[in-house]
Amino acid sequence: MPVLRLIAGRILLSLLTLLIVSLIVFAVLEILPGDVATRILGRDATPEALDLLRAKLGLNDPAPLRYLHWLGGLLSGDLGQSLASSRQVGEILAPRIYNTVLLSAYAFLLYLPLTVLPALVQAIRRDRPVDHGLSVVTLVLLSMPDFLLGTILLFTFVVLVPVLPAISLVDHSSSALDYLRAMTLPAFTLAIVMAVYAVRMLRDNLIEILDSEYIRMAELKGLSARRVLLRHALPNALVPTLNVTALNLAYLVGGVVVVERVFSYPGFGSLLVDSLQLRDLPVIETTVMFAALVYVGANLIADIAAVLLNPRLRTA
Amino acid sequence: MMHVNQATTGAPGRPLVSYRTLWRQTPQSFRIGLVILLLHVIIAATGPFWAPYGFSQMGAGIPLSGMSWAHPFGIDQLGRDVFSRVVHGAHIVILLSISAAALGLLVGAVLGLLSGYVGGWLDNLLQRLLEALISIPFLVLALIAIASAGPDLSGNPILVVLVVALVYAPRIARIARAAAMDIATRDYVTVARLRGESAWSIMRRELLPNATGVLLVEFALRAGYAPVLIGSLGFLGFGLRPPTPEWGLMISENRALIIITPITVLGPGLALASLVVGLNLFTEGLARILGRTVRLGNQ
Repeated sequence: MPVLRLIAGRILLSLLTLLIVSLIVFAVLEILPGDVATRILGRDATPEALDLLRAKLGLNDPAPLRYLHWLGGLLSGDLGQSLASSRQVGEILAPRIYNTVLLSAYAFLLYLPLTVLPALVQAIRRDRPVDHGLSVVTLVLLSMPDFLLGTILLFTFVVLVPVLPAISLVDHSSSALDYLRAMTLPAFTLAIVMAVYAVRMLRDNLIEILDSEYIRMAELKGLSARRVLLRHALPNALVPTLNVTALNLAYLVGGVVVVERVFSYPGFGSLLVDSLQLRDLPVIETTVMFAALVYVGANLIADIAAVLLNPRLRTA
Repeated sequence: MMHVNQATTGAPGRPLVSYRTLWRQTPQSFRIGLVILLLHVIIAATGPFWAPYGFSQMGAGIPLSGMSWAHPFGIDQLGRDVFSRVVHGAHIVILLSISAAALGLLVGAVLGLLSGYVGGWLDNLLQRLLEALISIPFLVLALIAIASAGPDLSGNPILVVLVVALVYAPRIARIARAAAMDIATRDYVTVARLRGESAWSIMRRELLPNATGVLLVEFALRAGYAPVLIGSLGFLGFGLRPPTPEWGLMISENRALIIITPITVLGPGLALASLVVGLNLFTEGLARILGRTVRLGNQ
């Protein structure tokens, strides 16, 4: 079966990529900085403290052995201990990932209407003032850093129209409503950033398809304009934006780092920033590997979906 | 492609087409973008000479006061004039962004053209390495690279440039490789090879000139998002150090004041967003002039 072989090849390649990522992460964080113990504790640390930390991190072993030990730990689920709180890394990471997954799901839910509705309006009213106006809005939003957009949303909905909380502190004891309120602004920020990227493409696709012959045919058959647009044009215009949606997922993994920070949302992105400030090496390494895992996984799924959806690729 | 009108011949020594005609033929987005960019460049170049206050000068006015004629962007917590700080920051943001994009372009283009033209095991090796670098979200990669450089170098502008270039290079290399693979199939490359030219000479004399359009658009696109990336690093506290008037850092510093004086955040925000709008419009227009498509976005 060529399809199965193609898919197996993609999976192997993804695993190889992750292996190289682990090498890069290890090299960047543990080999390039020289003495890791001094780096973590600072130059004023006592020799005893340095020795203790070296023993705790296993820094006395040669680098290749340390790498294999670390990789073995990652693969067997033994993620090590945080330096800042001496809790297990897995224990720290799990609730943060849960929060970020919830936030991402919410953002994706908002992303769909935020992409489709403006693009539909623009395509229907093409080259009219509404179309031009929305083009300017999407360009400005596209050019606005996510931390600025988040800050402006925060100011608008917390200070000017106080309907939402300024700080999104939640944990597993929070109620569903608290979660929803805490996540609304960060989710909207992420969704808008993702949507403006897709809106421009969807608008152009829609306009191109509305000019095509099969749409003229559907109109000539006497179908209503609404049915032609929603059932005939939109589904075909959406297919090429799937690629953008995969890219958007990749953006999301990095975007949460900034956006969670803006809203003090306790997710995996703010954990990465906190642990970088505390120089908590085991936590940093695991969060970075997790981010890469999500990225590689998303790309793998997009690749496999493309193979399965495209009959031409299947025989190739 | 732009059509140059051959019929309008002028006096000897003058261009075939008047500059005004050329200018009229450019897309509107290119023109608007260029005007915005020029404004930014003029402010960046002359700002330090006419800014009303110094970038770290305290006591410019009553701390936390809002918008006024004397202080269009208000006064921050330390009594510094935010407008003057924004003006002083312009050349820092622009210089760092352009150097970072240029360095990323240099490294990325060399790696990409080499990988795409030479092929074989070198291509395979480079592809795996670049793919792995791209798999780490760009902000995360930038953050761990800064952590790796350590406290002595943190806040160093050169480090920021190197880190942004490191993030961009693999992405530019991917584009350059695709261009090289496409150009390598052309007849003129085959002819050059039959003439017995070396791989290096073919890369320099055949591939590079023909990939210029792609690389130029890529450079403009990357330069357009460099201010955002540098700003994000500053915002998170891993970029330039206070009191540097970098715009992202200023937004982060004044964020707590947004309830009292929103303009201290919106001022630097306006500067940052307008610069990126200008660069984006310019890039879109440039791509259209060169007959290419570009997808604007921060990916």
